[in-house]
Amino acid sequence: MKPSFLFGLALAVSAAAPVFAQPDTQYVLQQSSLSYHMSHPMHEVDGTSHAARGKGICHAGQCDFLIAAPVKSFDSGDTNRDLHMLEATRGAQFPMVQVRTHFAESEIQASTVYADLEVEFAGQTAHYTHVAFQRTQQGSAVRITGTIPALCSDFKIDRPSFLTVPIKNEIPVHVDMTWQKQ
Amino acid sequence: MSIERETFAAAMRAFLFCFLLTAPALAQTYTLSGKVSDTAGHAVPSATVTAKSVATQKSFTAETNSDGMYSIRDLAGGDYEVSAVAGELQAPAIKVTLADAQTTDLTVSLAPKGAAGLPNAPQQQQGPPANPNAPSLSDLGFTTQQTQPNTELQARLTKRTEMLKIHQRLGLITAIPMAATLITGPMAKAKGKKGETITEPTDANLDFHAALGGLTTALYFTTASYAIFAPRIPNNPKHGGIRWHEALAWVHGPGMILTPILGYMAYQQENSGEKPHGFPAQHGTVAWITASAYGASIVAVSWPIHLKFWEKK
Repeated sequence: MKPSFLFGLALAVSAAAPVFAQPDTQYVLQQSSLSYHMSHPMHEVDGTSHAARGKGICHAGQCDFLIAAPVKSFDSGDTNRDLHMLEATRGAQFPMVQVRTHFAESEIQASTVYADLEVEFAGQTAHYTHVAFQRTQQGSAVRITGTIPALCSDFKIDRPSFLTVPIKNEIPVHVDMTWQKQ
Repeated sequence: MSIERETFAAAMRAFLFCFLLTAPALAQTYTLSGKVSDTAGHAVPSATVTAKSVATQKSFTAETNSDGMYSIRDLAGGDYEVSAVAGELQAPAIKVTLADAQTTDLTVSLAPKGAAGLPNAPQQQQGPPANPNAPSLSDLGFTTQQTQPNTELQARLTKRTEMLKIHQRLGLITAIPMAATLITGPMAKAKGKKGETITEPTDANLDFHAALGGLTTALYFTTASYAIFAPRIPNNPKHGGIRWHEALAWVHGPGMILTPILGYMAYQQENSGEKPHGFPAQHGTVAWITASAYGASIVAVSWPIHLKFWEKK
């Protein structure tokens, strides 16, 4: 075998190596706002948390994301209501709400990202499929907004009541996150 | 019996009636305690024991200590389903009735999840396939304090919510006799049949007003006790409408003590032929201030109110 052929082969292999052994890409949640909306005949209340943390790891073209927030970090503007929610959602026993999702790295570039979510909350796990999130590029950061159509019954939560009337079963969670690619 | 004594007796009867009505809420509580062990009989520390009320579907939990002992206090009487879990070990639900003995001893034996003889072993949720590269909770930098379950706090929250629910319901019920007492107050000096002003209160009006006042007072302090004795949650600075709700209690609380005293003094002055004067003459004013503060405290804890609540949203 000619030395020039071997040299050429070695050059080609070394040039292609980064493609086959791509380093993991990581995304870190820079800032976020997670808000649940609660409806009651006498109230329309939003409880918001800015304490979520998240990380995404893309490996071999597949990405896994995890976002988590302490249940007690949600603030609805009234301590009494928040403690009632904490009790109803078993927030001391299951102190974290965790959202996991998995998709192909190529899908991250689309303006609308459809994600299958696994939400762990109140000691229960619920799955939401094909949830739409809007994606906006902001410099090197990516902003993701959308709404998770959560229900109290998904997590076996006894609906909190006020003046003996329970809240609606629907507790949609609006998500506004800014991710930074590492 | 003089009118004065009859009025006092009517107020006392109302008080006793109300106390008897609310007494069951303060009734006996039960304790469920015992040991959690594995199939070999070894104590299992840090196991979570859950007693779920069959009637209310409410769950009460406790964690075992280093000797595998647990204790769930302040349970209402009735049927419970008791289960326990510790890591990969669990026990099927055991039915227990808390009725006679104040403390019920229950030993729970744990076996590996999915083992034979565990008919209630929960099905594992089928999530996406586990990816070894997927980030985990520990990657996010939360402290152990933030992520660890706190069963004691959950039990306090449950107890607190139960007591505040009773507080809320009794508070609304109290508003009814309170309003009726305010309405019947001026009737004690209503015009007579021929239009002349009755300077002396009639027995019937006065008795009714006093009875309503007694009922209101009893209900009010029973209501207040459920808020005062509800478990406190540490490291939880108050904000929002609850602050106004509590601040207004410093107005209607003393008002509820002062109003019946002034009413009694005013009645005594009238009974001795004098027109109410001095502080007793302010009985009505104090009552209105008290009732207004009470109403405002209900509004404060309900704020923000969606006024057009009949509209579909």
